[in-house]
Amino acid sequence: MSTASSTVLRGRVWKFGDWVSGDDGIVRFSELRNFADDHDPAELARHCFAGLVPNFAERVTPGDIVVAGRGFGIPSHPPAPMALRAAGIAAAVVESTDTAFIRRSLNAGLPVVTCPGITDAANEGDVLEVDLAAGRVTVNGTVFAVKPFAPAMLEVVDSGGLVPYLARYLAGNARA
Amino acid sequence: MRQTVAQKIIARAAGTETVEVGDYVTVTPDYTVMQDIYFYKNIKILEKLGVHEIAYPDKVIAVLDHTPQAAHGSIYVDRNRESREFARRTGFDNFFDVGRAGLRHLIMVEQGFARPGLLVFSDEPNISSIGAVGALNVPISTEVIVSMVRDSNWVRVPASVRFELVGSLPPGVWVRDLVQAICHDYGGGDGLIQRCVEFGGPALSTLSLDSRQGLLAGMYHAGADTALADVDDVALAYVQERADGRPYEVFTADADAEYDEVRTWDLSALEPFVTAPPKHADVVPVSDVSGRRITQATIGSCASNRLDDLRAAAEVLRDHPVAPGVTMYITPGSPAVYSQAAREGLIELFTERGATVLSPGCTTCWGYLGALGDGDVTISTNQEHYPGRAGSRKADIYLSSPYVVAASAVAGEITDPRPLLAREGKPHVHS
Repeated sequence: MSTASSTVLRGRVWKFGDWVSGDDGIVRFSELRNFADDHDPAELARHCFAGLVPNFAERVTPGDIVVAGRGFGIPSHPPAPMALRAAGIAAAVVESTDTAFIRRSLNAGLPVVTCPGITDAANEGDVLEVDLAAGRVTVNGTVFAVKPFAPAMLEVVDSGGLVPYLARYLAGNARA
Repeated sequence: MRQTVAQKIIARAAGTETVEVGDYVTVTPDYTVMQDIYFYKNIKILEKLGVHEIAYPDKVIAVLDHTPQAAHGSIYVDRNRESREFARRTGFDNFFDVGRAGLRHLIMVEQGFARPGLLVFSDEPNISSIGAVGALNVPISTEVIVSMVRDSNWVRVPASVRFELVGSLPPGVWVRDLVQAICHDYGGGDGLIQRCVEFGGPALSTLSLDSRQGLLAGMYHAGADTALADVDDVALAYVQERADGRPYEVFTADADAEYDEVRTWDLSALEPFVTAPPKHADVVPVSDVSGRRITQATIGSCASNRLDDLRAAAEVLRDHPVAPGVTMYITPGSPAVYSQAAREGLIELFTERGATVLSPGCTTCWGYLGALGDGDVTISTNQEHYPGRAGSRKADIYLSSPYVVAASAVAGEITDPRPLLAREGKPHVHS
């Protein structure tokens, strides 16, 4: 479930360990040969975490949130965050990841938040809330202060990804 | 002032005096570079949005390096045709088509786009190789499309770490071994994540510009977003030959610049390493995996497709053929590298030793050419080795230097190159 504002997201936690890569963990590069293409979302959803969580695509609820350890999504190509989105994941809150994955995910409409300490605080199935604008992650009564998203990033999230953002920008309707 | 080189370059591109680590700032990029698959996708997206040409065509560079010479039945035959038609129709001269195309990492420096103090948006962290001439690569992934409609975008100012190089590489040891030593120490943690690695120290100048590019291109696999090297006279002379009147500015870090870590690396202490599957931190001395039979050996990728890398392979292959049962592919990184390799007799040598020289591009690194089948074992200078990266998930990819790869190709199994090089009495050359 997600709340009304696109910058405050609330969902049930799926928890992963350290170094779940974008190219062989979130999806498998070898099974998505055309790594920069638009794939059918339903097909991508089936690939999401297919090697890690049996039947993930059937078990996930739209609005669920991924919590993961260090190096989440490294390395990656565009299908990785697209698959997370297609499966219904609303956000990822991770110990660490690289800028390429953060931007790649944002462009797919998936906010990724770096939050050191999150894997100690959150357990599978917990309800987690992340406020992108305020820079706040809340789970089990623990509140983490994280780097707030810049206005330009919030606008991409609000648009639902980079392509809808560009449509908004080109129409003269973007604020950032 | 307390500014690192990365901070100074971002401040210049933002039109401000200084920037703080962690801040989001809006910058005007000097260039934005992307590969063919993204370029095609982006022109199709823009077409749907009613945009039919690139807003700042002088500042965007597209290089056909992933899918050149598309084979019969490939989806890229038509896509590449559409891309070149777009370039011709709109007068987009910075479309580097087959014939002019090499790996975009090399094209950026060879064509003088990458110059000291410039900020370059790109689709890939490995393009940080351009830091060898003092240009800052800011990898923004699929957001390169923004630069096709607008002359600005946001960046988050990275923290930096400083690596000082001392000593000199022992015989049979290559700059890749330094990359692997760094990956060993940092690849499993997050000490370099979202950071810029700034290289300096007295030994930096003993490395060729080719080697510096290979070094910087590998820092992504230790976790870093980007990398820079101090600009010395060698780098500056290279840039001056290619700048063609276009501006640049050499920045040096302030004496009190803040680094998350400052560390000295002694090149003399390095030995040949191999990265075993599946993680980048799985780095072992070559002796740990010596004797592992191989079916393929490849030299190429943004780590090792420059002239010095080919010369290193040639040192080993000079008097030894590729072993039966091993397929060896060698990919010169650009037309300039290819033609110089031909001039030096390297293409002839490789061919006569039983290696196949491929056309410039990414080729084997993502399995576009020389794809791996079930049970294949390859040793490669490529950048990635997770299961399925270059074909079958049931193939094993080992990563190493051109010395180790060439020696292994000769032996038919992973092997230490040093005895072979010593026996030949060949001097260890860094030109």
